[in-house]
Amino acid sequence: MARSARENALRHHVLIYLGLTPFVVLAVFPILWMAITAIKQEADLYRMDTIPFWFGMPPTLKNFALLFNRTSYSDWIVNTMSISFWVSLITILTAVPAGYALARLKLRGAENLGIGIFMTYLVPPIILFLPLSRVVSELGLQDRWWSLVVVYPTFTIPFCTWLLMGFFKTVPFEIEEAARVDGCGQLGALLRVVLPVSWPGLITAVIFSFTLSMQDFLYSLAFISVSDNKPVPLGVATELIRGDVYFWGSLMAGALLVGVPVAIVYNLFLDKFISGITGAAIK
Amino acid sequence: MDDLMAGREPDPSAALALKVPVEAAKPRWWRSVTARRYAFGYSLLTPAILYVGLLVGVPFLFSLYLALSDASVGAPVARFVGLENFVAVVQSGTFWVALRNSLIFTVGAAVCKGLLGTSLAFLLMQSFRGKKVVRVLVVMPFTIPIAVSTLGWKWMLDSQFSVINWALGQLHLIGAYGTDAWPVWLGQPRLALASVMFVNVWRSFPFSAIVLMAGLTSVPPEIIDAAKVDGASFRQRFAKVIVPMIAPILLIGALFDTVFTLSDISIVYLLTNGGPNGATEILPMLAYRVGIQAGALGRGAAISLFLFPLLLPAMILLLRNLRRREW
Repeated sequence: MARSARENALRHHVLIYLGLTPFVVLAVFPILWMAITAIKQEADLYRMDTIPFWFGMPPTLKNFALLFNRTSYSDWIVNTMSISFWVSLITILTAVPAGYALARLKLRGAENLGIGIFMTYLVPPIILFLPLSRVVSELGLQDRWWSLVVVYPTFTIPFCTWLLMGFFKTVPFEIEEAARVDGCGQLGALLRVVLPVSWPGLITAVIFSFTLSMQDFLYSLAFISVSDNKPVPLGVATELIRGDVYFWGSLMAGALLVGVPVAIVYNLFLDKFISGITGAAIK
Repeated sequence: MDDLMAGREPDPSAALALKVPVEAAKPRWWRSVTARRYAFGYSLLTPAILYVGLLVGVPFLFSLYLALSDASVGAPVARFVGLENFVAVVQSGTFWVALRNSLIFTVGAAVCKGLLGTSLAFLLMQSFRGKKVVRVLVVMPFTIPIAVSTLGWKWMLDSQFSVINWALGQLHLIGAYGTDAWPVWLGQPRLALASVMFVNVWRSFPFSAIVLMAGLTSVPPEIIDAAKVDGASFRQRFAKVIVPMIAPILLIGALFDTVFTLSDISIVYLLTNGGPNGATEILPMLAYRVGIQAGALGRGAAISLFLFPLLLPAMILLLRNLRRREW
């Protein structure tokens, strides 16, 4: 009896792994291939006589060195970090109070405002990038990464407000009431009692300000054409290609050096992202 | 509740009210606890609403204005030209090519994502060892920034050193380099459109799977049990209970992905730049080319506004869905 149950479990597992293998290969192979390319020697990339999945010549870090020595890659990293910092700050300062007010204060019209904010998240950048390019040039921010600091909150604020709204609903009312009885004002209760227990929500909001900003390509492409002021994804995609000459090794190295950490962090918070957008449908 | 929410000091007007009963009979609304809560709440909302209003709402209206003007990057003062831009756009051949490609791209990719996503969700719903690891791996395409992974695909689809062609060549499925039997993925019109669609599918199928799983796990098992007790067959349970319950989530997921697919420029811009010969020209590319590269803001805005009617039905459906449920 026990043996046949084990056999069944084994068969079940084998079937599932067989079914999953194509999906895992499909999902991971391109990224692995990028990683292999990033540490291959230039000449090794163009050999058709050896198996390309492995190294015909010893692996090298030359491609990374070229990024830092011969391109503005380090500038792009600094730009990306600065953009992320300011976008996170703006998002937290606006979305935290808004999410709290919508979730907790029983405001008249809160429902419609909540839906309205969610809908703005669905207005695609492709409709907004031309008018925003005018706004950016009016502000004198053309070709400066500050333009992206101004523009990215248009999608991080709606998303994070919605996310934090769901989060604040789960903070028990009792602790806030207790604080009020103990003599805190409305603002005091928010700052001293609700926020300290909400830090996981705040961290999540910061993470999304960062990962969602990293997903952008259109805004940076439209607003910034000066090499030194580009964020990483745009810089790698536009500056490492000279006409028909591709520096594949360095392209892959530069793309992965930032892409993989972002992918991993996003991965850890993916469930929060999904419940953030489907939160509109499930209460 | 409201009593508990009152400020820390006893309301001075209460003491006053004992002496002057007339004042107590007409309590001033704006001094009430509710009013203070409202004032507090709306002032907390103001920064977010102002930001989103000024940088999403106003630009959206501004794009309507741009589309009706001859605004360009060089000339700041624009003239009102009525529907001229829209007429010119509709009369140009490239627009119809881009519209057709956008629709093929979006619908074709959606079908593939739906099929792949559903199969993957079905597999991931089973219980097996190492599920967490598998999940982390299969969602990588969705979490890695799209511009980054598209560069990887550009290298994989290279005209000469494509690893895909190498593998197909080893299996003797394609001919030698330079012959007609050697596929140039990004250089042949049909293959190019299929390739950009494939990269979009690759990026989004994990998302479809995860949204579907989120939907399925949100259906409480008691409800399914109750339907079983009432004698509903599997098909009835599926059609009458599960589908209606997960429909709102699927709708949001689909809308979210459609917005991305219709408006994403990075895949096409980086892989083919619209070519060869317009085979992968899509509306966002055209809007970018006309609005930014050629500097014709008004014309570009008119093109991107053609995306709006494509998205509107889905948005209205979603809005109705959100309003109907109790908050």
